[in-house]
Amino acid sequence: MRAVALAIAISLPLPALAHPHVWIDTGVEVLFDAGGRAEALRITWVYDDFYSMVLVEERGLDADHDGNATEAETAALQGFDMNWDTEFSGDTYLLSGETPVPLGPPEDWTAKFEGGRLTSTHLRRIDPALPLEQPLRVQAYDPSFYTAYTIALPPTFAPALPQGCKAEVLAPDATAANEQLLAALAEYGADQDVEADFPAVGANFADELVVTCGAE
Amino acid sequence: MRRGVILFAALLALGLLALWAGGGFTALRLWALAGAREVQQQMAGAVRGIATGAPGALAGLLAVCFAYGFFHAAGPGHGKMLIGSYGMARRVSLIRLAALALLSSLAQATVAVVLVYALMVGLGWARTQIEGVTVTVLAPVSHAMILGIGLWLVWRGVVNWRGQAHPHHDHHHSHGPDCGCGHSHGPTPEQVAQVSGWRDAAALVAGIALRPCSGALFLLVLSWQMGIAAAGVAGVYAMGFGTATVTVAVAASAYFLREGAFEGLSGGRLARAVPMIEIAVGLVVAIVSGGLLISAL
Repeated sequence: MRAVALAIAISLPLPALAHPHVWIDTGVEVLFDAGGRAEALRITWVYDDFYSMVLVEERGLDADHDGNATEAETAALQGFDMNWDTEFSGDTYLLSGETPVPLGPPEDWTAKFEGGRLTSTHLRRIDPALPLEQPLRVQAYDPSFYTAYTIALPPTFAPALPQGCKAEVLAPDATAANEQLLAALAEYGADQDVEADFPAVGANFADELVVTCGAE
Repeated sequence: MRRGVILFAALLALGLLALWAGGGFTALRLWALAGAREVQQQMAGAVRGIATGAPGALAGLLAVCFAYGFFHAAGPGHGKMLIGSYGMARRVSLIRLAALALLSSLAQATVAVVLVYALMVGLGWARTQIEGVTVTVLAPVSHAMILGIGLWLVWRGVVNWRGQAHPHHDHHHSHGPDCGCGHSHGPTPEQVAQVSGWRDAAALVAGIALRPCSGALFLLVLSWQMGIAAAGVAGVYAMGFGTATVTVAVAASAYFLREGAFEGLSGGRLARAVPMIEIAVGLVVAIVSGGLLISAL
């Protein structure tokens, strides 16, 4: 019995078999319109050193391997991570309270390679602009967990965080998230697509920026 | 010695169960993730060191790669499940089990090298195309092989079990005591303990090795682009050895757990327990890999 118990114990973490090979430090900027409604997000991705190097070198850039791009190399880098497949969501998820809010396609992107790390930014429009009656929540995660996102950069607001609002970045509660993952997988049928049907499971492992207005 | 083995196995089992129940696997995974992230950073520096001809750079890269393999293996993965389950279900020797674990890690490194050099260097594919093939083709094949191993364990268990249920079916054909045909009535503990053939080993190694690690692909592609291909290949094998430290540890745990569980059983009870464990472990492997296969297709 002990043997069987161990076999099960070894197997249990398996559904979360994927482990990340790319790490991205994420920054979120929320852009507000004159009425204090959120009208766009500017997302910043700072790639880890190793993956930055892979991306730069496979494009034949940074010929001197010094970890910095020349002006011409920087120009060649623009849009390197903006060629999204139709099924790629952009790994940024916006919610108003518990309700998902769609984001526009990426636009107005930038890229640079400095100090050995690739940094890119892009804008996602929120149309129509979102009033902050419910908490505004921005989650950064890859449902397949190939890439691990951390909201490592301090959140910014343009022109400013509306009066009476507060913002905080929440880290995932790993144990609670694991329990929810196991519960969800127990109910998960073989004909379902995990990624399509359980984005919320990935969200449980996600860093989250929460902007709350008028509460308390 | 016997007592020692039983005690060790019991403590190991209790420790693992406590770890599992207390959410310790999550803590372990977070620890492995943090380590993997740290190593990811050092990897870039180590590769850059070789490209720019820094002294001691190769030793540095090999050390970082070894750590990379270790931390990526410390997270969840199919290799550990398969080695652990196989070691639990089949009475193979510790040496053989550990050798299989090491061999599969090195074979995994070899698959990565062959893939990158055949597809990228040979056929001019892009890295993302190679990664696509590993996800859409190799991963399902690997899951299917593991599913096959699980079903094979179940089948072996059922055959063993049925052999015991009807040990004295019609044996009216006569062979003398010295016929040498080795015909037996029901399996003896020695037969139950028989070491499996090379087919097990091949299926096991292939099931693990077919799915190369993305990190190994990164390093191979990068080192080729930067003109330091040999260092990249060496680094990928260092990753394999790092991975093997974890899979060999899992192999040893499985071995001691199984032997500990079997120590208390003798003769008939042992003969009955073995097929049950084979069936149970085989079912777990089949269900998990079957689920993975379906979701990968």
